[in-house]
Amino acid sequence: MTDPRKTHFGFEQVPVGEKASRVAGVFHSVAAKYDLMNDLMSGGIHRLWKRFTIEMSAARPGQRILDIAGGTGDLTAKFSRIVGAEGQVILADINDSMLRVGRDKLLDHGIAGNVHTVQADAQYLPFPDNHFDCITIAFGLRNVTDKDLALRSMYRVLKPGGRLLVLEFSKPESSLLGKVYDEYSFRILPHMGQLIAGDADSYRYLAESIRMHPDQETLKGMMEDAGFSGCEYHNMTGGIVALHKGIKP
Amino acid sequence: MDPSIGAAASAAIESAINRALRYDPASRARLQKLAGKVLGVELTAPRGTWYCVFSDGEQVVTVHNHWEGAVTTRLTGSATALLRLLREDGATAPKLGISVMGSTALLAELQAALGDLDIDWEEALAESLGDVPAHTIGQALRSAGAWLGGIASRGPRHMAEAATEEWRVSPPRAQFEAFVDDLADTSLALDRLAARVELLRSKMAARRDG
Repeated sequence: MTDPRKTHFGFEQVPVGEKASRVAGVFHSVAAKYDLMNDLMSGGIHRLWKRFTIEMSAARPGQRILDIAGGTGDLTAKFSRIVGAEGQVILADINDSMLRVGRDKLLDHGIAGNVHTVQADAQYLPFPDNHFDCITIAFGLRNVTDKDLALRSMYRVLKPGGRLLVLEFSKPESSLLGKVYDEYSFRILPHMGQLIAGDADSYRYLAESIRMHPDQETLKGMMEDAGFSGCEYHNMTGGIVALHKGIKP
Repeated sequence: MDPSIGAAASAAIESAINRALRYDPASRARLQKLAGKVLGVELTAPRGTWYCVFSDGEQVVTVHNHWEGAVTTRLTGSATALLRLLREDGATAPKLGISVMGSTALLAELQAALGDLDIDWEEALAESLGDVPAHTIGQALRSAGAWLGGIASRGPRHMAEAATEEWRVSPPRAQFEAFVDDLADTSLALDRLAARVELLRSKMAARRDG
């Protein structure tokens, strides 16, 4: 049985209080090359996953949207155009390096006015109850120490009728794809990380953290336990990534 | 279908439409006036559903696989029929087997805009090659187009002359027209003769009976 005072950091067991700082270390290290590495690692497909997430958000002009673990602001940039001047997008991330890269990138692209950046922990969101029309967390939930606590926090700040979208790596549907994916993740990915970002360990953590993340059905159950209704998920690219959707009743 | 594939298709369509519109400012301005309207396209062959959302921003058209808002006009039909509807003059939805739900005004506006689509390919080339090479290539293509157009328009006339004057495989036009006139006269004369014979036959039959 897992020691209750410990949690996983990739395949490693670490004290609960230490995980956030270890994750922060990973993202401080990769922040500068994060977008480049995303494109290289996924062959650009992460843009399609995010595109589908935006569509499923059904965001409309004037809405208030929270992009948790928004990192370098890919989703925020798109939401900013959709919600327009009347709406508001909060780009939140626990990691200040990622947030800084994201904020600079958005400003460089002329995206400002309806976007605010907030350094926040997904487990203790610093927003009022029933505040957002939509919350997204893309490739961030698996790095959160207590995922149930984070889901409950998201539920609290979401308006009734609002939707939560969790885009995250998941479990491939086919075992053959799973084997190919394992080879890629554990053999090729750390080398790419070393070559491009000069950091193999962070990308080894990435692969390990994906394996430790709950599979599609488990995450759906966790969302239901947090109070969300109408929970469903869409597997993408053979289940390598899944988009979970839940509505606050 | 895997949503990544649908997203890839809609991204490709969206990129192609907006890229084309960048080089035709008139059509672009026309489509920007449709801001807020949504065209739903449901393909029966191949199967697929897309939603084109018009906006007055930099990205005039965004293409979605999933849309939860109101749809201004929804078209259902095959890909070829829909393309013909949007591109051909005088094409109508019922004639092509396309069902239309919602406002037909959006469809009419789109047909008009796409009918007048005039993409400035030279500007598109200039972006990647520079102004001078693009202009040179543009001029060469225009000259080649004019030459081919000339051949296309003069070709049939030259072929007709060769067939009648050189190869003698068909009669000259005047001779053919005179032949057609003679044929028409002969046909009329035969009709008159046949009527006359019929009249005589009926008269002889009446005399024999009387």
